Amino acid sequence: MKTQMAAVRPLVAVERSVRIAVAGNPNSGKSTLINSLAGSRLHVGNWPGVTVEKKEAAFERRGERIALVDLPGTYSLSPYTEEEVIARDYLVQERPDVIINVVDVTNLERNLYLTVQLLELEIPIVVALNIFDEAEKKGYRIDVPAMEQALGVRIVPTVATKGTGLDALLEAATEAAGNPSRHRPRRLHYGGDIEAAAEALMAEVLRRSPGLAEKYPERWMAFKLLEGDRCVIEAAGLPGIETMTARAAGHLHSAHDGDIESLMADARYARAAGLAREILTKPDIRKIELTEKIDRIALNRFLGIPLFLAAMWLVFKLTFDVSAPFADWLDAVTAGPFTRWTRVLVGLVRGPDWLISLVTDGVIAGVGSVLVFVPVIFAMMFFITFLEGSGYMARAAFVMDRAMHSMGLHGKSFIPMLLGFGCNVPAIYATRTLENPRDKALTALLIPLMSCGARLPVYVLFVGAFFSAHSGTVLWSLYVMGIVLAVLMGILFKRTLFRGESPMFIMELPPYRMPSGRSLMIHTWEKGKHFLLKAGTYILAVSVLVWFLLNLPWGVEHKKDSYMGTVGQAVAPVFKPLGFGTWEAASSLIAGVIAKEIVVGTMGEIYVPEKKETPAGPAPSLSADLREVGTSFVEAGQKAFTNVFSTAGIASISEKGESPPERESLRAVMAKTYTPLSAYAFMTFVLLYMPCIVAAAAFKHEFGTWKWFGVAFVYQTILAWGMAFIIYQGGKFFGIGG
Amino acid sequence: MGFVDIVLAGLIVGGAVYLLYRSLWKKKGYCHGCDSSG
Repeated sequence: MKTQMAAVRPLVAVERSVRIAVAGNPNSGKSTLINSLAGSRLHVGNWPGVTVEKKEAAFERRGERIALVDLPGTYSLSPYTEEEVIARDYLVQERPDVIINVVDVTNLERNLYLTVQLLELEIPIVVALNIFDEAEKKGYRIDVPAMEQALGVRIVPTVATKGTGLDALLEAATEAAGNPSRHRPRRLHYGGDIEAAAEALMAEVLRRSPGLAEKYPERWMAFKLLEGDRCVIEAAGLPGIETMTARAAGHLHSAHDGDIESLMADARYARAAGLAREILTKPDIRKIELTEKIDRIALNRFLGIPLFLAAMWLVFKLTFDVSAPFADWLDAVTAGPFTRWTRVLVGLVRGPDWLISLVTDGVIAGVGSVLVFVPVIFAMMFFITFLEGSGYMARAAFVMDRAMHSMGLHGKSFIPMLLGFGCNVPAIYATRTLENPRDKALTALLIPLMSCGARLPVYVLFVGAFFSAHSGTVLWSLYVMGIVLAVLMGILFKRTLFRGESPMFIMELPPYRMPSGRSLMIHTWEKGKHFLLKAGTYILAVSVLVWFLLNLPWGVEHKKDSYMGTVGQAVAPVFKPLGFGTWEAASSLIAGVIAKEIVVGTMGEIYVPEKKETPAGPAPSLSADLREVGTSFVEAGQKAFTNVFSTAGIASISEKGESPPERESLRAVMAKTYTPLSAYAFMTFVLLYMPCIVAAAAFKHEFGTWKWFGVAFVYQTILAWGMAFIIYQGGKFFGIGG
Repeated sequence: MGFVDIVLAGLIVGGAVYLLYRSLWKKKGYCHGCDSSG
């Protein structure tokens, strides 16, 4: 597996290079620590399992090149989960110069279990006692010198979110890397029987294959062979290794029914627990902490799911309230001054008329129609990042556990699904955190039903045109529809493609934390920039191609008769029973297969008026336009502020009666072309129809086969058509919104 | 539409197709900006 390079600053005159692996339990703050040290932007969240693979951030310090490798969070170094394998392979095979072991000091004993295993690798270690401030608040006292003495490694208290202790940590790590012999960690004794068996086994193994000592740390390899670790046994490649192990550990085998792995785990736990008892003093009177108080409500078996739904509703309402005025502002600027002045500029370079049309009616109308919704996407990502950072997302997975069990999955599968609200592609990759291949495939199949940010522009366009008074609720209903259908489809798949028992769910619930402003900004930007990059790459490319398809054969008078119009007309009857059987809707949906935002981009191009009306009176000057852009931006800010504190919903979208000067806004066109019922059916179809091409590639990449994408394509297309049909025909039958 | 127009249009379409191929297919679903992706 490749390492992702997250951030590399320019390096000059580097004297020495130091590779530091950052290892620790899930949610102990490894990525935050690296981000603080290296100024990088690795994804962090207050929930376990954020880092799925190892990532690297490099920087220069006092002439040294420091490369920090962020390993996935693991509780042990057993080869059972993808994260454990990635972390272990890196540590054993790549042998970093030093390991920074990030220990969540509020869960010391459990974190020390991993520390004990890291010590076995005999690589210099520095322990970061992270989240030290919270431990102090709880009244914990930690005897750092005693811990250093017991483990034989440097211990540095840190608060990664505030940057506290990080200079000392880095200093200790580079010092340890420079003098590995002086910083060799202490060998913790696991008891006479185990140690004797390991020694005897190693002596025999090295006698038969001395080269193995170069490949693996001897003592660690002995323990792994004793445990019967298949990966190490295969890598060692020694014939008769089982016999050798049995001979060396005959006494252990007979005393423990051959379950040496459990024996080893007990020995390590005993060391971790003993150490924690020696160095940690907790206050006698235990306060009921805020996290527990909140969890009594948030995890209540009756209130948990309603609260989760309410939290989602609030996210969508706030998203709309904050972003809609800015979306309106961008819409007016793109359709007005920007289009006008681009036309002037292309005219100045004497571009032919078709080129002017390609730029304004193709690129600006197509890409611009999508970019208008960037404020909405960023607002949404901000609130999702807030929920992730606060620790609530882990609770969401927990409260969904029962619903997930009904479809043969567990709450852990809900985490990749929650990631799918941002973008389905990383969510499909995140299924690798699931141990069972059956769970992975089933979860991946359900992820496209989670409404990703790319579908948001479509919803906002239609919600703004038809449901402005209840925008948050309508948007929320679409997301909830996705979740409910995922549960129902999961149950169906469980009874057909994926028979089997659902495994037990054990998940760590992190304490609630207030995410820092810096972290919120960085991660909102990291999530949102994906959409800006898409706009500059394939949305741009598709806009250009769509413009040609709408204008070919060359000189075609009506778009309806163009190549795109002809294909749209051929497909449109399929959508007639759904309430949007027009060639414009059909063409947009076909183009949206590439990425869902392209539905809006294509509509933007299709609905550009074929005959341009010249605005009455002289065009405003550039300075007047710039003044107007600035003034309207300030007004948008004021409206956003008012909206947040107003219970009446969105002021800006509902006021949107006037058209921008250069072309009618897409929303106004939609209001004339659709009915509220057909608009809702259209949004439902966009929510559910086949995954985009990038998600298809992710399916292929992750599973190595097109099979699961094929299943997703077929079931989603049927589901989308069926649901849109039920909504439109049902609504007509009952006389709703037609 | 003259010869120059046809060449220019061909170059633009070729560029768009290449951009699409590069961003959608060549990178095998790599998600820009999604740093938890594969």
